[in-house]
Formats: sequence, C-alpha cells, structure tokens
Amino acid sequence: MRTIDDFTRPLEYLSHFDKYLGKIARDWAEKEVIPIRRGFDEDWEEHRTIEPAYRKLMGELGLQRYFFPEDLGGLGMGQSDYAAVGGYRGIEEISRADSAMGVAFGVGVAWPILIITLEPHVNRRLCEEFAPMFCDTSEAVFAVNAMTEPQGGSDIENLDVLKGSTIQTTAVLEGDEWVINGHKLWPTNSGGAASLFGVVCTTNPGSTDPNDFAFIFVPASLPGVTQGRPYQKAGMAADKNSDIWFEDVRVPVWYRAHGPGDDHKYFKEMVSWGNILSISFVGGAMMNVFELLRDFCEEKTYRGKPLKENDDIAGVLADIATDIDVIRIVGYQGARMLDRPDLYGVGWSDEMVAKARAYKYFACDRAVEDLGRAMNIMGPHGSDRVHDVEKHWRDLKIVQLWLGGKQLAQMETARWFYECETL
Amino acid sequence: MLALFSFYNRRTFDKDRGGAMKYQELFPIPIEWVQDLDESMSATVAGWAEREVVSGRLEHREDYDSLLLPAMRKLFVDIGCQAMLLPGELGGGGLAPGGAAVTAAVVLEQVGSADTGIGFLLGNTLSLQSAFGIEAHRDEALLSELAPVFCGDQEAVCSLVLPTYGDGIDGDRGFYGLDYQVAAAQEDGQWILNADGARPQCSGATARFFGIVFGLEDGTPAVALVSSGAAGLSAGEPLKKTGLAASVNADLELKGVKVPGGYVVLTGADRLRELLCWYYMCCSAVCSGAMLASYEILKEWGDTRVIKGKGQVFKENPLVAALMGEIGGRAATSRILTYDLARMLSRPDIYAPAGGQAIYATATAVFKQVSRAVMKSIDNAMELMASAGYATEWNLERYWRDVKTIETYVVPETAALTDMARHYFGLKRL
Repeated sequence: MRTIDDFTRPLEYLSHFDKYLGKIARDWAEKEVIPIRRGFDEDWEEHRTIEPAYRKLMGELGLQRYFFPEDLGGLGMGQSDYAAVGGYRGIEEISRADSAMGVAFGVGVAWPILIITLEPHVNRRLCEEFAPMFCDTSEAVFAVNAMTEPQGGSDIENLDVLKGSTIQTTAVLEGDEWVINGHKLWPTNSGGAASLFGVVCTTNPGSTDPNDFAFIFVPASLPGVTQGRPYQKAGMAADKNSDIWFEDVRVPVWYRAHGPGDDHKYFKEMVSWGNILSISFVGGAMMNVFELLRDFCEEKTYRGKPLKENDDIAGVLADIATDIDVIRIVGYQGARMLDRPDLYGVGWSDEMVAKARAYKYFACDRAVEDLGRAMNIMGPHGSDRVHDVEKHWRDLKIVQLWLGGKQLAQMETARWFYECETL
Repeated sequence: MLALFSFYNRRTFDKDRGGAMKYQELFPIPIEWVQDLDESMSATVAGWAEREVVSGRLEHREDYDSLLLPAMRKLFVDIGCQAMLLPGELGGGGLAPGGAAVTAAVVLEQVGSADTGIGFLLGNTLSLQSAFGIEAHRDEALLSELAPVFCGDQEAVCSLVLPTYGDGIDGDRGFYGLDYQVAAAQEDGQWILNADGARPQCSGATARFFGIVFGLEDGTPAVALVSSGAAGLSAGEPLKKTGLAASVNADLELKGVKVPGGYVVLTGADRLRELLCWYYMCCSAVCSGAMLASYEILKEWGDTRVIKGKGQVFKENPLVAALMGEIGGRAATSRILTYDLARMLSRPDIYAPAGGQAIYATATAVFKQVSRAVMKSIDNAMELMASAGYATEWNLERYWRDVKTIETYVVPETAALTDMARHYFGLKRL
C-alpha cells in the first residue's frame, strides 16, 4: 500500500537527524494527537486536552531545545547546515496530525528564536539568557513573534515599501533599559500560552530608517505585559491568538536582538523562514489528507465500484497527489535554500524573501483548492468532522491568509521578479 | 392566513427595510418575474433577519438553543414560511403556480443571507413539499393530513434522504450510480424500510418529516414521507460538521419502518429529478443569500481599512479592486442564474417539462455554478480580510463553512458532473 513516505523529497538535502526527528514526531503524532484531535475545536479556549501533547513533544521529548547551542543544553541545529530542512521535517510530521500544533511548535521554538540562534548571527549572550527557559524544563515553553498591530495589519511585514514606518509599538532607551509600550494582535502562542515575546518595535515612530527598527525580547512574566483571551477562529484550535499589551515594560538594553540595522535585516530572514515553514504546515496536513482520502475512496462505492476506481474521481485524486508531491519538493527546496546561503544567497535578501513568499502562496493556493475538491468528492462526508478532512481545510485556509495574506505575497514576488519600482 | 401574507395585504412594504430589492441596483434580478407579493415577503423576512438573527449574532454566535431555534420558529411558524407552498384554503400561502418557485427563491435568498443553515432547512422543507403541495402535484389526502401540521404552531422541518455513495459493491441498484440509503420491500400494500446509518441532508435529530428516496422492486426511484415519530425510526448522536449550526444532523436507523402507500409522495425518475430541481434551486438561493451577506461584510472592510500606511483606502488598491471585481461579478451572475432557474421551474410550459433531463441538467449546472462561485467569492473575501477573514468575530468565516457544507451535502461533485454530461453530451452508459 502506498504511504505518505512515497511522496518525494530531495534526499541529498536531509540531515543525519532526519530519521530520528521524523520518527519521534510521527510516533508522537500518532499516539498523542491523532486519536484525540477531533475534540480540539471544543477546546480552543482552555487547551485542556491539547496542552499535554505539547508538554510531551516540546518538554519531555525535548524538541524545544532544537535551535539552542549544544553547550547550553540545546540540540545545536541552529548552528548546523540543516536547521531549516530538519525543522521542516519535524513540523511536517507534527502538521500531519494537526497543523495548528505545527504552527505553535514552529513559532514557539523557532521563529523568534532563530534571530539569535542561527549562524552566522548567533547572539551568544541572549542564547545563554534564554536557553535555560527552553532547555532546562520538561514543560512546554512557547516563544511568540509579536509583530502585527491593530492599525496596520500586515503593513509591518511590508518592509520594502514601508520600512517600519507604520510601527506604533515604541522602544525608548532609559539608562540601560528599553521601555516598551504598544499593542499587538494575533501572534501565534499568545492568549496566555506565551513565555517569551520577540517584539517588533520602533525607536523613532514614523521613521523609515532601518536603524530605528528594533526586535526586542520580552519575557511574558514581566510587569506591564498583558495577554488577552484567545480569539475564536474558523480552525487552528490548537494555536492561541490574542491581543497583547505592553505598558511601560522594562527590559535590559541587551535584550535587543542585534542592534540598529541588523534587527531589520534579520527580521527579513524571519519572514523568509516563516513562509518556508508555512509550507511544512501545508505539506504535512496534505499528506494526512492523502491518507484519509485514500481510505475513504477505497471504502465507499460509486457506480458499483470503489470510488478510486472511477475514472472521473481518479482524475481528481491524481491532481491532489500531484500537488502534494510538488508542494513537498518545493518546501524542502526552500528549506535547503535557507540552510545554504553560500549557494542560494542569504535568507534576508529581497530575492529569498520573494521566493519564499512565492513558494508559500503557491503551496497554500494549491492545498486550499485541493481540499475543497477532496471534500466535494467525499460528498456529505466531506464536511463531516469524523473524517478530519474538513479540519485540514479550515486550518490550511488560515495558513493561506497569514503572513500578510496572498496580496502582499504577490506584490513582493512581482517586485523582485519583474523589478517593479512603485508597488 | 399566514402572517407573511397578512403583512402583504396591509401593503406596508417599505423598500428601505431591505429585502431582495435592496440589491436590485447592484446585482439585478429579472424584475418582471418578481411580484409585489415577493417584494413584501422579502421585506418581511429581512425584518425577521435583522431582529432575530443579525442583531444577536455577536452575542449568541451560532448557539442553536438560544439564538437559532427561536429565530427559526418565528420564521417557520409565526411568519409562516414552512407553509408558503401549500394551498391557501388549507391555511398555506396559496402561491400561484406560475410564481411559486420565484417566491421561494426570494425568501430563501433572504433567509440564507441571515443564517445559511436556517435557509438550508427551509430549502429542504420546501423541496419536499414541492412533491405533494404545489398545484401540479397536489395530493389532497396528504395535504388534508399534513396542512394542519405545517400551518400549526410548531416548526415542522423536512429533511431529504438522498442517494449517495455506497458501502459495498452491490451492482446497479441506485439512482445514476449512487446507492439508495435505505432498503425497501413491499408487504401488504405498504413499504418496509430498513437502513443503518442513513445520512439525511439536515436535521436528522430534529426534523419532523423525512423525504426518503428508495428504490422500488425494479429499482425505480420513489420518495417516502416518513414522520420522525414513525415506529422503528431512530436518530443517532448529533454529528459534528463543518457548518450549518441550525441543522442538528444525525444518521438515521430504520428498522422495519412501515410506509403506507399513500405516503409514497412520488415514483419515477422524472418526479425525483423534478424534486431535485427544486432542491438545487432552493440551495442556489440560499447560497446566493450567503454571497450577499459576505459582500456586505467585505464592502464594509474595503470602505474602512487603509493599507500601505499611506491612507490608501483598501478598496482603492488596484490588486484588491481586481479581486473585488471578480467577487462582484460572481454575485451578480449567481443571483441571475438562481432566479432564472426559479422562473424555469415555475413555467415548464415555456421552458422544459418539469423533471425532464434538460431542466435537470440545467438545475444541476446552476447549483454547481452558484455554489462554486459563492465558495470562491467567500474564499477571496477571506484572502482580502486576512486575519479578520477567519476570525469568528467578523462573521465571514461562518458563511464560508456553511456554504461549503451545502456544497458537499447536496450532491457529490462527480455525480453532478456526470448528470450534466449525460444530457449535454448524450451519455448512454453512465
């Protein structure tokens, strides 16, 4: 019988860690998540059934140590040539069970953390500061990338055009401390889950100077940090999102990731990573859709034979399998490009940002369309939560819409490939 | 006389109250087919929607018990929509044969705009009634028994149980390749129905009547009207599903359910196709209503948001405008198609015999076109609204889930395409 492992990926890109990581994540998914995921929608606010699975994966199995240096208790992947490809594999397996958990994991242990743990820009002092939070515990610890604000939505990510000029969250230097004030929306792992925020700030409101863009770490436990209640959403129940308010929050001056210019530069690299890892959410979930659809189309009959043996249905199944295969190859290729800046250019380049955006919106568009077709094939069972396909449909629609949504991705892609000057 | 029609008689219709005519300038429908009565009903239902659904939406979300059930009761019973197709002398709406389907489209579009799930339930109810309650198929015996129920003081939702995929390879016993969900045998002049896990279109746990498609001994399709209280009929646990909160659906078990001959409301492929034509029209109208509601949500977003930090109004961005153009175009064509189909069903003397292959193919095509267009438009609207598109607070994602559920429930995609190809390309074997 064909399995998800029959979908293609460039094998020579894989790390020595791949089989180990893949097995850990797959075993965890099949034991801790897939049997209970159907109840997650009712647990979106409290996470009573969801939290134990996070604890197992991130704390007990220790995958939240992924990026930190080995001498600080981490797995040292941030300092390897396989940070992105390895992460992609782990998140792909997690997302096969629940893409919201893939997101919460990817953001929680990677996205804001990579700005200080990834070669060639490791901030050793901050690694030493935060490694114990992630590496010396068996509890799940979540980091948050706090960037979106009420007034501008994805404007903050539109760095090439707006250059941080719309950021309203301020960081003012007072002595040897940053004083942070502002209001953020929507970040993954907020809503009470977060332990550490990476906060996008400006040191000079309205400025278009990249030197005024600041990325500053803020522990969630500090006075002045308030997380709101989680938002209710169409899907992704295992990922909490909320408002966050920072009111005269004080952190040491060295909690800024790198400093003038470099924060802006490496934040663009985070955008590239966010887009590529989004493909792993999509690819993992779609591989599970393949499994669910395969089983359904073998069991149900139409015109007196299994669904899959009908030419018209087989044609749709072929389209879906083709897309899954292509999405997987593209995702691993994108991850490889992040891992090998010596071959493909640095992750913060306009080229890499544009290509990551393009790959992500390609994967999302294909997946959302395929899921709609899969549900249509399944008839009344397609929108039946018993079969879980509709869950992936609701979840992946959300992946399609974040990181500025499709239109920003189109603009950044066009801007680079066609050298547009006024978009 | 139903409240709906009393309202009409008072001639208090006010265009400012909303209704189908609210959109006439934006997304016109063939106005010459819409009667004063339709406009009045549309306005009445628009008032219901505002008072009973929209105003409480943020507070109640999709809570069935506190919001949807009372609202549905007012629509079905107090306003009288569940009896609108039945003869006037029996307490129903007494709609003229030449306009009943258009009137149904007007009402269903309005209801679908307020709550797509309630619209779907009403669509099921009217579709089943079209088999015995409209002039062309008036069944006096059934009407004398059922009219008091539909015109009474309790809601009486009907739900269709249609052919679908099978669970085994059992030959060609179904309807166009789909299997009947119930097994039927004739005994002493009545039919005995058996099924394990038959999936109704809606409200398996709460419907008053089921219209169950089954096969006669030679495989010819028929529809049995079965009361939810029938001996041997039981509903399983409510199903968790993507959308349509108003439909508390559950699979049905039928153990020797007896159906007297008089409760077989139709027999023959032509009659079943006619019922399905009505059903596809009703569902198109409900989807069209969801389209109009999502248009309004996006319109407000596009008018009030700015992007690129330069005070550019969202809708004035050319890329956004291009997508909005597509959405508007789909809304316009979806409405026209829905009302065109309703008109065709109302006037078989002009178009095609009710239940014929031609009108069946057209009805299927219209439903597929409209449901796809609405899904695509809401998809696009969500893309434009990004996080607000999938946040429950903005109400858009609810329509997205509801319409997708309708799209999957009503007819499996490939079966619909084959039905269309059978007529358009003269298929002989499928």
